[in-house]
Amino acid sequence: MTAADKTPVPAAEPREAGTQLRPGLWQTINERYPGSMIRKESFVSQASLSKPLAEARLTLISSCGVHCKTDPPLDVCHPFGDFRFKRVPSSSKQRELIIHQLKYPHDDADLDLNVIFPIERLQELHLERRIGSLTPNFFSFIGYNMDPERFERTVAADIADAVVQQEHADCALLAPA
Amino acid sequence: MSVTVARDVTEAVKVPRALFLPWPMGHHFGVPFHLDLQRRVILAALMLLEESAEPGTIRDLPIKWADVRREAKSMLTIQGQRL
Repeated sequence: MTAADKTPVPAAEPREAGTQLRPGLWQTINERYPGSMIRKESFVSQASLSKPLAEARLTLISSCGVHCKTDPPLDVCHPFGDFRFKRVPSSSKQRELIIHQLKYPHDDADLDLNVIFPIERLQELHLERRIGSLTPNFFSFIGYNMDPERFERTVAADIADAVVQQEHADCALLAPA
Repeated sequence: MSVTVARDVTEAVKVPRALFLPWPMGHHFGVPFHLDLQRRVILAALMLLEESAEPGTIRDLPIKWADVRREAKSMLTIQGQRL
C-alpha cells in the first residue's frame, strides 16, 4: 500500500454531491438552542388526498415570516419568539408582500419571493387547472420559537384550525424556511 | 406535504412526507426568477402528495446546488440581474 492509498478521501463537497448542504443541522440547533426543537417519538399519521389534485383546494404554510406590507410585522426581536401568525391572501402580488425575518438568509427571496413562498407559481398552477383551487389565505409565521410546547398549542394549532375550519383546505404545502 | 432542505431535522420531527432538496436554507424552491425550477419543485412535491403511502416518506429531488447555481448564473447574466 502506498502513502497515497492511506490518504483519506475527502468527503464530497455537498454542492457537487447533492447531499444536505448544511450537514448536522439538527445537532447544531439543539446545541445552540437547547430545548427549542419539537421532538416526536412516532410519525405523524399520513392522510390520503380524498380527491384528485385538480379538484383539491391547497394552502401554503411557511415559517419564512412573509406578510402583507399593509400589516404590522411580527416581532423578530423577542427572545422567545412571536407566537402569532399572519394570513397572506393567496391572490396577493409579490410587490404587496415583504419578508420580516432574521433567522435565515432571504436576500434571494427578497429579489423573488417565490424561492421560499411560491405564491405566484401556485397561482399559475391553479389557472392551469393542475390544482383545483387555492385557499383564500395562505399562512406565515416566524420559525424562531424557544418554547416548542407553546408553539404547538398556539401557532400550530391555530393555523391547523384555520386551514381546516375556515379555509377548507384539502391539502397543504409546507415550506419550513 | 413538506419541502425541506434539512433532511436530518425532517427525520427527527417525523413528518408524514417530505421532498428533500440539497439546497441552502431559504431556497426551498430554487433561485430567483427561475420559474421552471420553482415549478418543478412544487410539482414534485404534489406528486409525492398523491403517491406516498407510508408515514415518514422522504423523497429526494436529485438536483445538485452546484448545477442550480451554474444555471442561475448564466440565466441572470442574460437577464442583467445580479447573482
